[in-house]
Amino acid sequence: MGSLLNYVIRRALFAIPVFLAVSILTFLITNAAGDPVNIVRLGIRSITAAQLEQLRLFFHTNEPVYIRYFYWLSDFLRGNLGQSLYTGSVASRIIPWIGTTLELQIPALLLALGIGIPIGVYSAKHQYSKGDYTITTAAIFGISMPTFWIGIMLIIVFSYYLPWLPAYGAYSAYPPYWWGSPFLDAIAHLILPLSVLTLVSVATITRLTRVNMLEVLRQDYILAGRASGLSEWKVTYKHALKNAITPVLTIVGLSFGTLLAGAPALETTFSWPGLGFAFVRAASTLDLPTVQAIIMIITLMVLAANILTDLAYAFLDPRVRIT
Amino acid sequence: MGELLRVENLRTYFFTEAGVVKAVDDVSFVVNEGEPLGLVGESGSGKTVTVLSAMGIVTKPGRIVSGKIFFRGQELDHASENEMRKIRGKKIGYVSQDPNSSLDPLYTIGNQLQEVIRTHFEVSKDEGWDRGIKLLKLVGIPEAETRMKSFPHELSGGMRQRVAIARALAGEPELLVADEPTTNLDVTIQAQVLELLKTLEKDLQMSLILITHDMGLIAEMTDRVVVLYAGKVAEEASTHELFQTPRHPYSAALLNSVPRLDRKAALVPIGGGIPNLITPPNGCRFHPRCAFTKQVCMDQIPPLEDIGGRRAVSCHRWKEIELRRNV
Repeated sequence: MGSLLNYVIRRALFAIPVFLAVSILTFLITNAAGDPVNIVRLGIRSITAAQLEQLRLFFHTNEPVYIRYFYWLSDFLRGNLGQSLYTGSVASRIIPWIGTTLELQIPALLLALGIGIPIGVYSAKHQYSKGDYTITTAAIFGISMPTFWIGIMLIIVFSYYLPWLPAYGAYSAYPPYWWGSPFLDAIAHLILPLSVLTLVSVATITRLTRVNMLEVLRQDYILAGRASGLSEWKVTYKHALKNAITPVLTIVGLSFGTLLAGAPALETTFSWPGLGFAFVRAASTLDLPTVQAIIMIITLMVLAANILTDLAYAFLDPRVRIT
Repeated sequence: MGELLRVENLRTYFFTEAGVVKAVDDVSFVVNEGEPLGLVGESGSGKTVTVLSAMGIVTKPGRIVSGKIFFRGQELDHASENEMRKIRGKKIGYVSQDPNSSLDPLYTIGNQLQEVIRTHFEVSKDEGWDRGIKLLKLVGIPEAETRMKSFPHELSGGMRQRVAIARALAGEPELLVADEPTTNLDVTIQAQVLELLKTLEKDLQMSLILITHDMGLIAEMTDRVVVLYAGKVAEEASTHELFQTPRHPYSAALLNSVPRLDRKAALVPIGGGIPNLITPPNGCRFHPRCAFTKQVCMDQIPPLEDIGGRRAVSCHRWKEIELRRNV
């Protein structure tokens, strides 16, 4: 396993330039977006010259931008994600945001895999049947409909006309709780956004699985498996699916990093207090330290997900060697 | 010399969007014990589809439209998956064309052999593994115990073809179908694989169907030949007679396109290509490429005529024309 550790270290070293490039871009763009001193100043009725000078010292705006970048980067690397312009430490708030996003994204991903893969297999096994046409058409619908549109439609139907489910938020801040208890209340809040997210991911995973299955089912080893008397079930699930699933899992793995970013449009539609919603709010209120911190956290997650995906690939496919 | 496999009036069509492809159209032949049979023809002549039909593994959009399949005189219901599965691997083993893709890349050799063994015999995993080792030894793979743990990509093409043969033998079939077993191998490896097939045939008293377009292989490996052209049987004869006196112009043309060392003769390629099987030519399917075409060939489909001495030919003019191997 020495080579494995070696590999991870090497990949991590490759990730460093990417991380630095993203950090430079992020810092420059957010700085171009506005001067934090001026933004904070708007909230103070009257400000003395001395107070203004203090703010400048705090945000280092009296120094050139590349010096400020190094202050910011060294803070970030030591775990200090900065101060929000409005609500204090970013680090203490970003963890709950990530948690809330994952509460939505992980069940959606698991459901999408559990539903999308069997549907994709069915579709490939019955290529050009009515079922296959129905599935592929529905998948195109699921992929092309914007999540916020589906979300709004579901809210209109299931929260407005039929008052069955809550329209926004991840939980009720005050009683009465939906369905009687705080736990069931959280579940009730989860259902609509989870459905939208699952629908979209199912569409993607179904299509990917179908295409890969069709490709694999044409392979000689499938024919040879059938010819040697294996049951259709074994041919399909033990041989074809395992071969077809590797690329699907790769794409899922690569998207896992962006998945942590949450779905800004969807979280905003449902006022879901996750990272995506937080990002949209921070950007629209020019809360620059929060925007910077969120982008950098997402960057780290994406880089980590890439490395993990490569490892998973090597684990699934013996032809891929880690050296 | 008993009859092993009999295929009668088999028709396998592929129902594609462009139209119905008549890949196998009224093909009959018999495989006898101890009489290796060659199925020969160009790519697209229906050799592989014929055999896959006999094993009941034609995939969509292909379907057996009509025809009967007998194994040891017993008719098989080719529509019944259960019945056909008893044949596959157990009665008829199949070695597919390309050793590079005929083994699942994600499982070890051992796992794949064990799986087939345990499909056909109720044995424990350990017993299945041990039998796998024996099979590898049978097909001449050195260090069989270690090889069981190898993945296909860790083996050479020749070794993989040996493993594919071992898997085809795992159910101890009475008939082995080798579908272009040497096409994708180096020449030196080809000879080894052929040698292996011959040895197995003798030692296991197993019959062989060899699918190929290589007349050299036919001469070396088979006793009888069925020449297929565009999904139909052009000629059936003993290998010896076919090489001596081909009766169908297509058989003669195939023979004349093979280089020979004993005589200096120009190679004569067969002009044109396999016809479109959605709308095959009227009459004899070979007439657009045949040097002896007359009006009757364009109008009427020639029947497969029994010409005595276990020979059959499907040509209107076989009596009139004189086919000769170019000298």
